[in-house]
Amino acid sequence: MKVLRFLSVTALLVASLSVTAFAAPKSIKVATDATWPPMEMVDANKQIVGYDIDFLNAVAKEAGVTVEFKNTAWDGIFAGLDSGQYDAIISSVTITDERKAKYDFTDAYTSIGQILVVPKTDKTSKTIADLKGKKVGSQIGTTGTMEVKKVTGVESKTYDEIGLAFEDMAAGRISGVVCDEPVAAHFALQKQEYKEKFKIVGKSFTKEGYGIVVKKGNKELVDLLNKGIKSVKAKKLDTKIHTKWVK
Amino acid sequence: MHGEGGHQPPRPATHTMSDNQPTQTSVAVGDGAAIPLKSDAGLFTAWRIAFFGSILLCLFLAFGRPDQYMAIFKFVPEGIVITFQVTIGAILLAIVFGLIAGLGRISANRYINGIASLYVEVIRGIPLLVQLFYIYYALGRFVKIPAIMSAIIAMAFCYGAYMAEIFRAGIQSIHKGQMEAALSLGMSRRQAMRQVILPQAFKIVLPPIGNEFIALLKDSSLVSILAVSDLLRRGREYASETFNYFETYTVIALIYLIMTLFFSKLISIMEERLNDGH
Repeated sequence: MKVLRFLSVTALLVASLSVTAFAAPKSIKVATDATWPPMEMVDANKQIVGYDIDFLNAVAKEAGVTVEFKNTAWDGIFAGLDSGQYDAIISSVTITDERKAKYDFTDAYTSIGQILVVPKTDKTSKTIADLKGKKVGSQIGTTGTMEVKKVTGVESKTYDEIGLAFEDMAAGRISGVVCDEPVAAHFALQKQEYKEKFKIVGKSFTKEGYGIVVKKGNKELVDLLNKGIKSVKAKKLDTKIHTKWVK
Repeated sequence: MHGEGGHQPPRPATHTMSDNQPTQTSVAVGDGAAIPLKSDAGLFTAWRIAFFGSILLCLFLAFGRPDQYMAIFKFVPEGIVITFQVTIGAILLAIVFGLIAGLGRISANRYINGIASLYVEVIRGIPLLVQLFYIYYALGRFVKIPAIMSAIIAMAFCYGAYMAEIFRAGIQSIHKGQMEAALSLGMSRRQAMRQVILPQAFKIVLPPIGNEFIALLKDSSLVSILAVSDLLRRGREYASETFNYFETYTVIALIYLIMTLFFSKLISIMEERLNDGH
């Protein structure tokens, strides 16, 4: 009997934990890969900060929920959403058709583009296509990788974190890095060592919208977040956040 | 990853136990795959079930559910080649490092002994993953070598320390009478080591080296963090684009399993041959 009682208590506990999914949330868990400065990063005080963090906090305030951020590695961040470890992802996720097929997105909250960074010693390259026969780095599973792969003849190298790609370029192992424009500006123009070695070439060559990702079919959360995004935009809070982080 | 407990000195050869030392039973549990010796009937059957089972499962997935799985099997083969390149390159280099450091560990010269011991102690105290990051990015600051070479050097540097202990134990397990006999025949110490001790020691250390090889094959998956397109990284690249995480990692796990089971069988055959030779 004791075993039975133990089992039923456990079952009840598990059940009570899982009911919370999809019920109107008061607090949501959101994953972010805080290695993508200035959009999301860990500051000197070990806090997760950045554009996305401030933005989602503003959205949540408008929508009347609280947010708990979870720092999660990019590779596998979508898998964690599938397995229900968190309710949403805000991590500079570009809204693409491939991703829309598997997950639901909120409305785009900001738009950016991909850009190429090369060593200063490279005087000729203007686009990825100019780097034929060479290696170009990007973060695994990002739109940057997709852009590199589109160009035939360029060898794509994928990294777990974009910082590692820049470090490998500093070591001379790759000839270019493709990433989101604000991130490129952060690494190439703000870190002293990289500032001396790297330069951004040309203008961003894609137009992409960032969206917040939720599990397919979680309409309540999408609606709630969209409502928040609308009111943040109406109050022009997003331009304030933009000047604070991206300049 | 490497556990301390996994590295026991190799079993002493039978002829070293002839004198009055108490016979020790060493607990040889390697961190490679379990080696299916014929004498262990349970493990032998388990090996067959696992090996042929995973091959059948691969075939079933590839041809039974081609829309989900065939693309994965087509995407990863280059990764298997890289995984082998890294593993074989690293084990060969690790044997060189290990032999040098192992001889250093038994050297009578205080400085050589000290340096070799320090290498073994320091390397074994740092997790392999940390070493890989460190050596890969540190090397990049000073010399320009391809990513895969850096990965091989980093792996070999780590495994060399474990290998050194295997060589040391192997050499020390040769009865000291062998050295005395060789010296009394007029050989120099160097000659005696090269012609008498090392050939016998090699035979003893071969099985543990085989075990290290399998452990290294599995640990080579760690180089996927270094943008080396090994088997695991190919899988991750595929999964990151298709979001088919479950299917991809199923395939990756099966391929690793087939490889380690295959090699553990080879090593068990080798070990049996060596035992017959006595």
